[in-house]
Amino acid sequence: MFRKLIYLNWSAFLARLTNFQAFLVIGYIIFLLILFSNLLGSALVIVLFDHNPAVISQLPWLTSEIHQLITLIFANVLWILHFSFTSTRLLNMPENRKLLAFGYPVKKLSWHLNLMGFLHPLNLIYNFTWLVFLLIQIKHLMYVPVVLAVVLLNYAIIYSIKHRFLKVIEKRFKLIVFSALFVIFGTIQAIAIISREFEYVVAQYLPGITTLNSYLFYTPGGLLQYTATGEYSLGVASAIYGFTALLIFLIFRDHFLKTREGLLQPIQERKIYKKNQLWHFLKKWLGLHAGKFYYYVLSHSYNRLQLLTIALIPAVYIPLLLQLNNNYYSALLIPTMLAAIPVALLAMGMANMYGYENKEFLLHRQFPSSFERQLKERFLGIIVVPLLIFYLITTAEILYLPQLGSVVGIYIANTFFFACFMLVFIWSSFYYYKKADYTSFSFKHPIISQKVTFMMVFLIFGLGYAVFAPIGNLQIYRLYVMGGLILAISVYLWRNMNVLVRAFDKHILHQVWDDAGQ
Amino acid sequence: MEQAIEINALQKSYGDTPVLDNFDLSVPSGNIFGLIGPNGAGKSTLIGILTGLLDYDDGQIIIDGLPLTEENELKIKRRVASVLQPPLLFEHFTSNDFLHYICDIYEIPSEGRQPKINSLLNYLGLQEFEYAKINKLSAGSRKKLSFCAAILSKPNILFLDEPFESIDVISIGRMKTILNQLQNKGVTIIITSHILEIVENLCDDIAILHNQEIIAYLDSESRKELQKDASLSEIFESYIEIEKPQDDVLNWL
Repeated sequence: MFRKLIYLNWSAFLARLTNFQAFLVIGYIIFLLILFSNLLGSALVIVLFDHNPAVISQLPWLTSEIHQLITLIFANVLWILHFSFTSTRLLNMPENRKLLAFGYPVKKLSWHLNLMGFLHPLNLIYNFTWLVFLLIQIKHLMYVPVVLAVVLLNYAIIYSIKHRFLKVIEKRFKLIVFSALFVIFGTIQAIAIISREFEYVVAQYLPGITTLNSYLFYTPGGLLQYTATGEYSLGVASAIYGFTALLIFLIFRDHFLKTREGLLQPIQERKIYKKNQLWHFLKKWLGLHAGKFYYYVLSHSYNRLQLLTIALIPAVYIPLLLQLNNNYYSALLIPTMLAAIPVALLAMGMANMYGYENKEFLLHRQFPSSFERQLKERFLGIIVVPLLIFYLITTAEILYLPQLGSVVGIYIANTFFFACFMLVFIWSSFYYYKKADYTSFSFKHPIISQKVTFMMVFLIFGLGYAVFAPIGNLQIYRLYVMGGLILAISVYLWRNMNVLVRAFDKHILHQVWDDAGQ
Repeated sequence: MEQAIEINALQKSYGDTPVLDNFDLSVPSGNIFGLIGPNGAGKSTLIGILTGLLDYDDGQIIIDGLPLTEENELKIKRRVASVLQPPLLFEHFTSNDFLHYICDIYEIPSEGRQPKINSLLNYLGLQEFEYAKINKLSAGSRKKLSFCAAILSKPNILFLDEPFESIDVISIGRMKTILNQLQNKGVTIIITSHILEIVENLCDDIAILHNQEIIAYLDSESRKELQKDASLSEIFESYIEIEKPQDDVLNWL
């Protein structure tokens, strides 16, 4: 039965893939392989590098305390990555709930859905990395069952915390945003200071490292680390194993009960909005059609998180990069990051601009107002905000960061960057149409899935390298090439603006009609 | 008699599968017109074409005296409204915001708009959902809200695809009253429904759509004659001529 459930979910996933999406899935698989080898490789290097005499002779400061500190930091970074990037919400409740009507027992379905979540490649990659990372550090075979149990418990706890964490974020958005800004900025600044003056900091704080390590053992990564490297007897190992097994049982039972509740009682809360401020504000400033689109985009909690990320990343990294002594990398990375801000906003609005409203376009099409005009108004509304940000950033770069290049150079490079992504997103709108998912059980991004996000990050940095990397005297030729391409892209975009409706009819309308169940 | 809709030699297919083949139909103005047929007969496709959602391959369509061409498209859309199955709504708006949006689109003056909206919502038992988000409403409330939106735009022709599905008996009665009032004001109403009792009681003329064409057109006179001896349901079955399966075919049950 479980195999049939996986087959059913897999078939449903494949059936909806367009060629473009299939291409993204291939990119995502490559990304997973790279991630897997990076994580595993880092774990092996960090644990084993102090065994190598050549490394020891080159790093005289590498004492056993410092090595322990590095291992503990890695364990915690791995835990944070595991927490942030694992997919624990793959249960596709609305679809799988239908199986109950076909006689799938609710208990079995709840267990099977949880098992399916556990078997997601990302979860497997992180859990396997944990196993390898911890098992190569154990001192005795009796630690093996303890490590196995603790890795499983870790997965179960992350699953539980993440579920509740997202609910808390939804309810206390502002508080979480400011706390996250403060903590992340502070942490990264501290790491930067330490890495710039590593030997000085190490020498100064060396006596305190043992104390620091003893505290770090109480962090999530430290606790996991301790189960592999701590000194304990068979009795203690049995007690840890027994207690961990009990916790695993209780937490998995909690997952089971929550899933069962989710299957049998879909959330139907009805809020009353006497005056919908956001909608009325957007309608006033952007008009009926573009205003409605932005209202849908901003109504989604995930997008608000995305806005935070867009603001946070440059705010944290650019001050650091400005302190960097290496001009080449700061000249490459700062403009790339700044140029990526309006691009990220553009992506939020355009990557799948029909996905949010979906079948509602059928109603828009029935209105006694030109559909082309409606789409153009929406399209212009989507680009006007990123464009405004684009001009503000370009002006700020020209005024405050003259070291990045000439006025013309910055302007052309940024425009080229923006135009390239306009092109990517206009294609994406037509070829990556996907019905937005608003179920309360899932926060997966309705517009830009993880696959697209990772591909975009590759593209942004790839294009950033091609556009912003200092190339000396050849710069003038690059500007000519970019200028020519900007012209070509602009002509293409303008012509596509005029055929928006035809493109919609060709690529979107029949899918919307199908999704609407007409 | 003046015709609200005239369709001549209409062709529509999905890929190689014809849905409407050389299709002809005329709907008199001011009529409550019933379009019935088995599942997959092409009723929804026909409504989709007439409401401007679907393109057609060939033929001629005249709606409210205007040929359905690119030039007349907006004029026609201004004169027609529809309630589709499932209904098309703006899921993340409240009922009130949605109806105001419709009024904005149809350029209904904002003065006096809210009382009209309130009276409609009250009449159809939707007042408690005025400020609730539409995606949280039940199937019946959604259908009624879509009906309110269609009425607010003051159409000359109203298309209703399964308008009474999921709706409670009291609301069905009130919707019928509204439809009769609209008919008295000259509005043409085209209804598709599988609930033949309602079609029988509400509609003036009825057409049966089957195998991509109209196989029977029953105006009020011919209906009177035929329905002396049989219900609409029996007449419908006699026209459809579906081969009746043998009684023992489901013995395994």
